[in-house]
Amino acid sequence: MEAYLDKGIKEIIEEFPGVEDVLSDYDIGCGPCNVGICLLKDIVAIHRLSDEQESQLMARIARAIDPDQDIRIPHAEKKTGTKPKDFTYSPPMKKLVDEHVLIKRWIALIPEVVKNLDVESEEGRRLILDGIDMIRSYADKYHHAKEEDILFKYFDEEADILKVMHEDHTRARALVKEMLAALEKRDKQTIVENLTAYRELLSEHIRKEDEILYPWMDNQLSTHQVGELFAKFDTVDRQIDVSPRKYEAFIDQLEKKIKKQEG
Amino acid sequence: MDKLEGCPGSRMMDFNKTDKENTEPAVGKINSQLTQWPIQMHLINPSAPYYQGADVLLTADCVAYALGDFHRDYLKDKSIAIACPKLDQGQDVYLEKIKAWIDEAKINTLTVLIMQVPCCGGLLNLAQQAADGAKRKVPIKYVVVGVQGEILQEEWAAA
Repeated sequence: MEAYLDKGIKEIIEEFPGVEDVLSDYDIGCGPCNVGICLLKDIVAIHRLSDEQESQLMARIARAIDPDQDIRIPHAEKKTGTKPKDFTYSPPMKKLVDEHVLIKRWIALIPEVVKNLDVESEEGRRLILDGIDMIRSYADKYHHAKEEDILFKYFDEEADILKVMHEDHTRARALVKEMLAALEKRDKQTIVENLTAYRELLSEHIRKEDEILYPWMDNQLSTHQVGELFAKFDTVDRQIDVSPRKYEAFIDQLEKKIKKQEG
Repeated sequence: MDKLEGCPGSRMMDFNKTDKENTEPAVGKINSQLTQWPIQMHLINPSAPYYQGADVLLTADCVAYALGDFHRDYLKDKSIAIACPKLDQGQDVYLEKIKAWIDEAKINTLTVLIMQVPCCGGLLNLAQQAADGAKRKVPIKYVVVGVQGEILQEEWAAA
């Protein structure tokens, strides 16, 4: 049974669909993940469950894999320093979590934007371009670049969890590229589909980072590394030609506009 | 609490030595991780070379006696200053020295180690007050140590 610890979670879920529900009960959302290459042992270790919760989870996974046999799955080795508690992010991680807030506000508006999408008028196309600019400049250049160029370099970039994050970033960039091409052709349907797909992708991506990846990373980073990251993020903020205020203003205005339409 | 026991910071306690002796691992000579002198807050110069860009420990006087693994787990690779927020006079000087660490020595991080007794919270307040008044921002971590050397809390403060 030790072999299951070294198997990709998607492979396990495909073979034993009940495992997805078991993981969901522990707020481990591997089901919707579109990559699913993380190994079972890493998933269990990274979620900072208490020893008791981990034992229960493993027993339930064992039953989902084979209800008729008394299967024992070995204890997954915990990463050092992980312990269940109310988590406080280190200042650089808190900064990344705070940056997610504006992205989440944009994501929350996408269903309404899609409902009234207009590719024919100048005003309609301007809104789409502004939304795409928000994704490219704020979410990608300002935020994802901090992760890819700085934060991820402190870890093994071949680790499955980081590969998943990179894949999400790459997928988001591809969706944006397709949206721009579709806008050229006035192809409303493709823009609607891609904006919706972006919303789903980023919602899950942010949840994974806030609840799993960042707390795990914080447990691995030394005090010295936290200070370094904080200084490097600060340097990026001072040097980058992206103004967060511009995008806050865009979201503020869009929220007001949609509220007015609804009222 | 018994009336005669008074302030928790100076209340008399006698820990069970037998239990500690039984759990003490066998080790050889433990090397000091101290790499500077002086260390008392009134005596240190915040511009000293060993504070430049450093990870600094600001430690309440009692911490190093309570925390068995202080040198290995906390002092290693860090610069230090010690102070007693209850007994030391002239703590406005401390405030200015912490600000100088942040703005002039451009320290990387500040870790404040205090005891669990209420009076020790003053050292963390002092550090936060100095950080609020500084031009630069640095990550501040605080660690609360129990009187028998247990880590009761270890958190990053909001930057």
